Amino acid sequence: MFFQIIFAAVFSGGLVDARKIRGISSSYKRFYRERKSFLCIDGSKIIPFEQVNDDYCDCDDGSDEPGTSACPRGRFYCTNLGFRPHYIPSSRVNDGICDCCDASDEYNSHAHCQNTCWNLGQKERAYVEVQMRTLDEGLRLKQQLIEEGVLLWREKQAQLRELQQVAEDLQIKLEEHRRRKHEADQLKEQTLKALAAGDSGLGRWNRTVSSVFQLLDSNGDGSITVDEVQAKVSFVHDEEQILSEEEAAALLGGGQRMDLIKFQHTLWEVLTKGDNVKIKDTPSSPVGEDPHLQAADKAAEWETTNLKKVEEAYDTVNMEISDLQKKLAIDYGTDWEFLFLNSQCYKLKVYEYTYTLCPFNQVLQKNTAGTEVSLGMQLNPILPL
Amino acid sequence: MAAFTERMAPVLLLWLAVCLSGAWAVDRGNFKTCDQSAFCKRQRALKPAESPYRALLETMELTNTKLTLQLINDNNKVRLLLELYRLQGNMTRVKINELKPLKPRYEVPDVLIREPPTEPLSLLSQDENGVVLSLGAESQRVIVSARPFRLDIMEGREVVMSLNSRGLLAFEHLRMRKDTQTEPEVEKNEEADPANQAETAKDEDKAVDGMWEETFKSHSDSKPNGPSAVSLDFSLPGVEHVYGIPEHADDLRLKTTDNGDPYRLYNLDVFQYELYNPMALYGAVPVMLAHNTHRTTGIFWLNAAETWVDISSNTAGKTVFGKMLDYVQGSSETPQTDVRWISESGIIDVFIMLGPTPTDVFAQYASLTGTQSFPPLASLGYHQCRWNYNDQEDVRSVDAGFDEHDIPYDFIWLDIEHTDGKRYFTWDPHKFATPKEMLQGLKDKKRKMVAIVDPHIKVDSNYKIHNEIRSRDFYVKNKDGGDYEGWCWPGNAGYPDFTRADMRDWWASMFAYDQYEGTMDNLHTWNDMNEPSVFNGPEVTMHKDAMHGDWEHRDVHNIYGLYVHRATAEGLIQRSGGTERPFVLTRAFFAGSQRYGAVWTGDNAAEWDHLKISIPMCLSLGLVGISFCGADVGGFFKSPGAELLVRWYQTGAYQPFFRAHAHMDTARREPWLFGPENTALIREAVRQRYTLLPYWYQLFYQAHRTGYPVMRPLWVEYPQDPATFAVDNEFLIGKDLLVHPVTEEGARGVTAFLPGKHEVWFDVHTFQKHNGAQNLYIPVTMSSIPVFQRGGSIIPRKLRVRRSSLCMEDDPYTLYVALNVQRTAEGELYIDDGHTFNYEKKEFIHRRLSFINNSLSSVNLAPDAQFTTASWIERIVILGASKPSKVIVKTTDGQESPVEFEFDASMSVLTLRKPGMNAGEDWTVTLQ
Repeated sequence: MFFQIIFAAVFSGGLVDARKIRGISSSYKRFYRERKSFLCIDGSKIIPFEQVNDDYCDCDDGSDEPGTSACPRGRFYCTNLGFRPHYIPSSRVNDGICDCCDASDEYNSHAHCQNTCWNLGQKERAYVEVQMRTLDEGLRLKQQLIEEGVLLWREKQAQLRELQQVAEDLQIKLEEHRRRKHEADQLKEQTLKALAAGDSGLGRWNRTVSSVFQLLDSNGDGSITVDEVQAKVSFVHDEEQILSEEEAAALLGGGQRMDLIKFQHTLWEVLTKGDNVKIKDTPSSPVGEDPHLQAADKAAEWETTNLKKVEEAYDTVNMEISDLQKKLAIDYGTDWEFLFLNSQCYKLKVYEYTYTLCPFNQVLQKNTAGTEVSLGMQLNPILPL
Repeated sequence: MAAFTERMAPVLLLWLAVCLSGAWAVDRGNFKTCDQSAFCKRQRALKPAESPYRALLETMELTNTKLTLQLINDNNKVRLLLELYRLQGNMTRVKINELKPLKPRYEVPDVLIREPPTEPLSLLSQDENGVVLSLGAESQRVIVSARPFRLDIMEGREVVMSLNSRGLLAFEHLRMRKDTQTEPEVEKNEEADPANQAETAKDEDKAVDGMWEETFKSHSDSKPNGPSAVSLDFSLPGVEHVYGIPEHADDLRLKTTDNGDPYRLYNLDVFQYELYNPMALYGAVPVMLAHNTHRTTGIFWLNAAETWVDISSNTAGKTVFGKMLDYVQGSSETPQTDVRWISESGIIDVFIMLGPTPTDVFAQYASLTGTQSFPPLASLGYHQCRWNYNDQEDVRSVDAGFDEHDIPYDFIWLDIEHTDGKRYFTWDPHKFATPKEMLQGLKDKKRKMVAIVDPHIKVDSNYKIHNEIRSRDFYVKNKDGGDYEGWCWPGNAGYPDFTRADMRDWWASMFAYDQYEGTMDNLHTWNDMNEPSVFNGPEVTMHKDAMHGDWEHRDVHNIYGLYVHRATAEGLIQRSGGTERPFVLTRAFFAGSQRYGAVWTGDNAAEWDHLKISIPMCLSLGLVGISFCGADVGGFFKSPGAELLVRWYQTGAYQPFFRAHAHMDTARREPWLFGPENTALIREAVRQRYTLLPYWYQLFYQAHRTGYPVMRPLWVEYPQDPATFAVDNEFLIGKDLLVHPVTEEGARGVTAFLPGKHEVWFDVHTFQKHNGAQNLYIPVTMSSIPVFQRGGSIIPRKLRVRRSSLCMEDDPYTLYVALNVQRTAEGELYIDDGHTFNYEKKEFIHRRLSFINNSLSSVNLAPDAQFTTASWIERIVILGASKPSKVIVKTTDGQESPVEFEFDASMSVLTLRKPGMNAGEDWTVTLQ
């Protein structure tokens, strides 16, 4: 299209003065055909054709002076062969500043403008080539990031599903454990109730006396001997020290052995009321809990601990799930091409400041003195590309 | 933001201080009232009465050049010496000093451009009551009355002005300090040797508060010289309108001060000044004009110390009806304005300019203090400023913004942040790393830059400027003899003693391209903070007991800023080898500052009232010789809305110095940031400015030659029409353009007063004709800037508005010929290279354009001047014309050729198409 203008200029030159066509684009050329008169493009006025580009503004729309600075709101077309054509305001024609790279705007000024269009064009083309290459490279990288992103996305999705499965399993387990704990608690409660009932009658008492008697009566011959006392009874304050025969005999009421009836009235009293001796391996109170109760208590404790463990595991898994879901809810671009940014941070030094930008995360400003200021969170760094 | 805070610590401190004070306005408590200024309080306590002063006629001596006479104060026997001069050009100078002061009193140097030439006074008569002297022409006489002493200047039987008629002449003589309170009253002795009379002084010597020490807020003034105030009253019979004594944010017409403080003249950095009050601002010009329908006079009180001016009037407060009643009943006394000047130190040295016309007074004042410097043409274009353009990239992008939006501008400005830590004459090494590159970029677009250079110098032993000043011992000294230091933008700072000629020479040499690194010829300068501003000083300025050589700061305060401005302007001239005209803007000023460049009205605010006040503030400055005046377009503090900003551009485009400026804390406001409609409105206002540059330039040439103001109050051109006397919502540019800017929010219309009974005025946009002497209601839209061209005038314009004024240099002219009722018109055209002093070597074109008898001709007003221009006449628009049958142009070579034309009958506008003559030649265009 530029050649058309050159052609017109050179070959129609016999008819049309070069100045007449100055500042016109090829698409406007049809308005400037040599005739006797010229109609302002806005149709406002007809003037003699000699008054086109004669450095006086006749048309309100400036159309009679496309090639001079005469009209206040006119525009001048730089052909810029070899580069991009464009319009400049008429006020930049012959103002001593080179605006068109083909120097066509300074045809009558002190400015010595060189035609730089070819160079500019070269540069532009080279630039465009580099740009294209950069773009290709960028697209390639992007594709790579997308692939990585998709993989990572899927991985995370799988991870999420897995976690959700674990959560479901844990849920079941949790219910089971809750049930078991509930049962153990009930058992313990019943035992306690039963004990409470037994406390008021002799049954518990007798049983207790006889059970201690049985405990001491190691050989089960129905009487406790010195040996047996020495083996099972110790001082409260020193478990290691074995009672002497005399001491053991004293506990047996001075005799060598003792039956249940006698035990109930002598040693039992000492063991339950005194604080000097006790049965070995038992707390200072020789009586202790009822073994049924102890068993029920232990069972309940066990179930509580188990439940807590399962609950903790369940909470942890749920937290992980929600974290993952939050991350997965962020817009990483249509093809997850920005997913890789999630774990990255970038630093920029501006004068005395260092800025740290972690996409989808926080932005920090740190000065040379080391003072750090948070500039907020950057949750959506994705700009349209 | 942390480092920002660090960098801005002093500013923030100040801001904090201000914010804590709680109000968005000046903290009045920071500035003295008359009552808080000891000498003002003392002097104002004196009431009109019979003067204790008596002229000793036997001491009279009359020489060719002056009359001298001793005055004696009958209360304390101190003698004064009166000198009376008749000056060329219808002026009288009255000088009063102590006959034998204890030590010399300060007489202000460097303000008068030369010792004013005198004319002989002749003695008309003399008796024991006084003498009568002739002032030459027009039966003008001065009467010296002896007992009590007074001066009356008469013309015929009319008293033009009286001095000491109210007996308020007061002269606090210098005296030894007597710390003993119980001083025995010394016996009066008429025969005593005058030298001892100070010692014999009576009760006034007794310690009055504040005579030997004065404290204001936490600041104390040690006053080692004791009381030294001077005061004198002037009566102006027949005068009801007085003007001048800038700088005050007040109406054009000065108000009476009976019910408040006097107008104060004391250069101060007033933070967020209030409007419509007599508080002191950044500059002081002690010149007052008095006007009535038949005479204009002026009083120039040459004193650089703190000064207060009281004004009273016997008609003040009377209604128009009351005055009429007086007139009808014949019971009225003559209206009279009484003025009283009070200064803290120095002497009485007063120039009485006797007019009688306003232009005579302008010429008289110009003959004393010089005229407006002739600015480079580019400085009349538009200036884009902001605190701050951040770095070179910011400058580049703002520059590009103007091109993108097709708005012309000539100067982009850099405020204090461009320096390396507020060390003037340096550049921030990061933000402005390659200043020459930046300046060259602007130069390639034919544009320029202004960078700030303030007079406070960072005390820093790694700073060359500081080290050199210190090693040369150029700093102002504190009362104890050490270098005076105060707090300002850079933190601790010294203040060079600009009153010293050797200091000023050195300062000027610092602007040389090899000293001020990174500069080029398109970099100009801005002096701010030169009151001087001292953040931690009394009233934010320097302590009065600081020393400038032998003189106290008290004596020189108001002239300090002028000296800074002068030294800077001289520096810019010198760096070019004396060829280039400088452009320097100053905030502080004094009488004579017009010789060194432009001033602006300081730190105003983005408020409608501040837009309004810009008119009287610049008019008042123009009246006292300072024509190159402007206000920050948009307002410095706060952010303007789009409407205010547009209206401000429209107003500023028609004021002499046209610069947009903004505080650092305000939002960006480059012209294109308010939407396309407002951008277009601003573009149009700026373009109107550029089309009129030839007229502005010619008016500045005239101001430079004559001292006539560029921006004028109406009364100056219509001195006999009292309706114009108080108008300050509109103004004239030269005498031919009347501007009534829209300064009301949401305005639908304005009422403009079109002066002149026999005048006609043409709307410059529609060419509609209006008669003079009427109030004209003009409906307005956002695009309206009501401007009228006077019938009888010819105004040259350049309609091809380009990127900058320099781009328009060779462009052709369009002449707007507005015919008056006699169908005549006259104008001028001035052309030169726009930037050098070569016009002084007669390299210019100055032509008179006149239209008479249907013929428009260009005649050479300066036949001995030589200059050639490429500019030609592309169009002549004749307003109020009738249709000719034929138009012929005749050029120097005798060639005649027809000119095409168009005639718009509805508006009577005749447009001559492309007559084509060169603007520098003789030609005649005849309508047949």
